[in-house]
Amino acid sequence: MLNKNKVGITGMGIVSSIGSDISSFCNSLKNGKSGIRQMADTKEPKVSVDIAAEIQDFSFLNLLDRLENVPDQKRKYAKRLGQRAPFVVQTSIISALEAWYNAGLFEKEALPERMGLIVAGQNSTQNYQYDLIPKFMENPEYLSPRYALEFLETNQVGVLSEMLGIQGEGFVVGGASATGNVGVIKGYQQVLAGFADVCLVVGTIADLSPMDMQGFINIGAMGGKKYIDQPEKSCRPFDSQHEGFIYGQASACLILESEASAAKRGVPFLAEIKGGALNLDSNSSANPNLNGESKAMQSALEQAGMSASDVDYVNTHGSSSALGDKTEAEAIGRVLGSRASDVWLNATKGLTGHCLYSAGVVEVIATVLQMREGFLHPNINLEEPIHKDLKFCGAEAINHQVNVAITNSFGFGGINTSVVLERGK
Amino acid sequence: MSKEHVFEVVKKIVMEVLPDVGPEQISMEISLKDLGANSIDRMEVVTMSMEELGLKIPLMSFAHVSNVEGLVDVLNMNYAAVSENDTM
Repeated sequence: MLNKNKVGITGMGIVSSIGSDISSFCNSLKNGKSGIRQMADTKEPKVSVDIAAEIQDFSFLNLLDRLENVPDQKRKYAKRLGQRAPFVVQTSIISALEAWYNAGLFEKEALPERMGLIVAGQNSTQNYQYDLIPKFMENPEYLSPRYALEFLETNQVGVLSEMLGIQGEGFVVGGASATGNVGVIKGYQQVLAGFADVCLVVGTIADLSPMDMQGFINIGAMGGKKYIDQPEKSCRPFDSQHEGFIYGQASACLILESEASAAKRGVPFLAEIKGGALNLDSNSSANPNLNGESKAMQSALEQAGMSASDVDYVNTHGSSSALGDKTEAEAIGRVLGSRASDVWLNATKGLTGHCLYSAGVVEVIATVLQMREGFLHPNINLEEPIHKDLKFCGAEAINHQVNVAITNSFGFGGINTSVVLERGK
Repeated sequence: MSKEHVFEVVKKIVMEVLPDVGPEQISMEISLKDLGANSIDRMEVVTMSMEELGLKIPLMSFAHVSNVEGLVDVLNMNYAAVSENDTM
């Protein structure tokens, strides 16, 4: 017989283009700061879109030093594990340490075998491999033996579990652009069913190679052409001039925990996860589906024991894709019904770009921060909304108290996810 | 002379692979294990040293190496052979 624990978020950590910790990320949301700009350096061959929300001037050692509350022993461990690791691993280490500290897990420990770990990320070593290929073609003998560890996505499971002493279940999940939410939902289920008291969920950076960028351009998913000279205007979720997603980078981490464990350790829920739904459209292609998206939101609300009348705010998937935005707007309209004109909507990707694998985790964090701080971040480029009957946030942040929120993520391959969050008391 | 050069190369690479280790800790007599290297770290020191010296030696040749000097000797033996060929 499975338990049904209450599950909450007790820690959060982030490294993104608009903040390399939770408090700077929160300020950027309030100020409507966008991380989207001309890419710092482009590799060969050049691809036609060079706009992205990249993490600028990343230094693993500087960020590690800034996490002053991390015990020295752990910091030393993190340094050895991370100093020469790929960018995706280094950023996961930083966001995980921040979340671990915020959840008070360094001082008030949980049992190692009752802690789980989910890495939400797929193909996160693409660019790392792309960079190694020229050297490999010349001298295969000199390929680092570490490569056999590092090209496996599960390398992050090993690194983070060793660093944090996690000994329960640990695995990797993928779900295209919904990967982060898939991780949150699987972590929620682990704690809900009693397989873990604490579950760390980290959404990894999508470190895209030029080939991956070109692939997204060729399939027609990536925007950035109309506003090639005004990068900050290029990501326009739900605006009539939207034309595709803009690539963003972030590693984001959550600590999910049962109510009993949090109470025992004396840490509060920042928010409670009330439901998390995942369904498929039976579709191998890239197109969204109105029924699948509506069903995900409805199922998540049903799990929560709630209805549209309880919802105050939707953190949309809002990727700035023409068909994607239109389909999601219709799905939200269908689910909210007569309440559609009362429920606030915004799209975090307008500021962070589309962080692909970590997007779901980034947006859960954005939702929790807005709930806790009583504001809603702006949609900075929403000049002419595609849907007149929905209540989109405008160009400036507003003060607003949200108690119940839905956060959506949809991915290629007909993957639909929605999570329902309630503000911590 | 050449052995000294190979030792300096190995020393530099050990410090790169093991950021906590200082130059004064690395002697001919010490083993990489005693410096805190795990098996992957040790293989990486070998691969990176070969690359730095422009050598391609079957990894089996290092099977019986037990300390830094053993590693330096295998590398140096092959390094000397390559250097001789270069001058021919």
